[in-house]
Amino acid sequence: MVKLKTVRLRSVREFQMIKITGEVADFVARSGVQNGLVAVITAHTTTGIMMNESLPCVEEDIEEALERLIPKDSSYMHAHFLPSYGTTGGNSPGHLKSMLSGNNCILPVQDGKMVIGHAQDIYFVEFDGLKMRSYFIEVIGE
Amino acid sequence: MVIDMHVHPGFFQDICGDRERTEMRRQRYGLYKTSPSPLEHTLEVMDHAGIDKSVLLPLDLTTITGEVVISNDEVRTLVSLAPDRFVGFASVDPHRKDAAVELVRCFEDLGLSGLKLNPSSQRFHPGDAIMAPIYELCVKYDKPILFHSGLSWEPNAPAKYARPLEFEDVALGYPELRICLAHFGWPWIDETVMLLIKYPNVFTDTSLLYLDSPKDFYEQLFKKNMGPLWVDRNFADKVLFGSNAPRFRPVRLREGLEKVGFKPRTLENILGLNAVHFLKLEA
Repeated sequence: MVKLKTVRLRSVREFQMIKITGEVADFVARSGVQNGLVAVITAHTTTGIMMNESLPCVEEDIEEALERLIPKDSSYMHAHFLPSYGTTGGNSPGHLKSMLSGNNCILPVQDGKMVIGHAQDIYFVEFDGLKMRSYFIEVIGE
Repeated sequence: MVIDMHVHPGFFQDICGDRERTEMRRQRYGLYKTSPSPLEHTLEVMDHAGIDKSVLLPLDLTTITGEVVISNDEVRTLVSLAPDRFVGFASVDPHRKDAAVELVRCFEDLGLSGLKLNPSSQRFHPGDAIMAPIYELCVKYDKPILFHSGLSWEPNAPAKYARPLEFEDVALGYPELRICLAHFGWPWIDETVMLLIKYPNVFTDTSLLYLDSPKDFYEQLFKKNMGPLWVDRNFADKVLFGSNAPRFRPVRLREGLEKVGFKPRTLENILGLNAVHFLKLEA
């Protein structure tokens, strides 16, 4: 059995960690899948799906570490006019942070429930807000 | 007060009920991957950039493509949704036989605050005699004109119509008419500068980002193509903040301007006070 859900959201900051653990767990519980996997996948190239501990200090460290590694102003090659978009590429830091974050996470499903570590939470992470965004939750199993 | 003088609202969700019309806008503006956004998002983006008001610009191409890309009534609708945040301009295709009638309707019935004209996409020379009735109406109603000037990324919009020198006859012939040559007339910056220093009724805006990042591009424009103190010394009261959203992101252009190194008073003028004067919002 395969069940897919598309979730839409609106980011309200340039960098924003949006906790989606509850949304994913609810969909798994309602999917009818008893044993299998759940995948959470972003639909964008300047966002990420991240698993980490939901503490404000950890979230702040993640943001600051990414900013140190990938500053807003640098000589990014992406900063030029893109005829296929009709806009100038101004979001190279978002692309690079997305690369470090990755676009998905996978968790086991057992006895109809998502299995997750006690310190783990799932985040949809915005690296290029403010934007209209979406991500997918897909449950695969029996 | 921060005012974004240059916003194309073609992808504001409240006027995007028709999918074919939204796709037509993508093609006309050359904004091929832009999607509609709800009003809440638009206002959040403005808040994030610290923008108090945005000037919304329609586009009438009736005699060119048979389309009104964004209508005056649609702009009026959007202004009504957030009257404290939006200022609505009119657009008329100057080749329309009823152009003057429509412009009067925009000013008298719709209460729009100025006129946007695009010589490149609307295919007219600013000094042409057919423009006289339109300019005279703007003088009569004391409404400013925002002209597209210089390079246009719209696909069917030759730059030859919008070279800054094309506007000298307008500046000279209608000294009471406030005109803004958008995009600094890029790449003909020297022509724009000449008009700025000579004609009190000529303004320009900052809605250009054609190469590089905002920081790099504005540094090239304001510190290398121009003398480093030209704006501060000569026309600090004639440059208006404009983003050209959604083509360029308002917050990025604002950040770029703040890194140029203008005197604080110059920056304050550019970000809003000059637009207050241009739009006569003081009253």
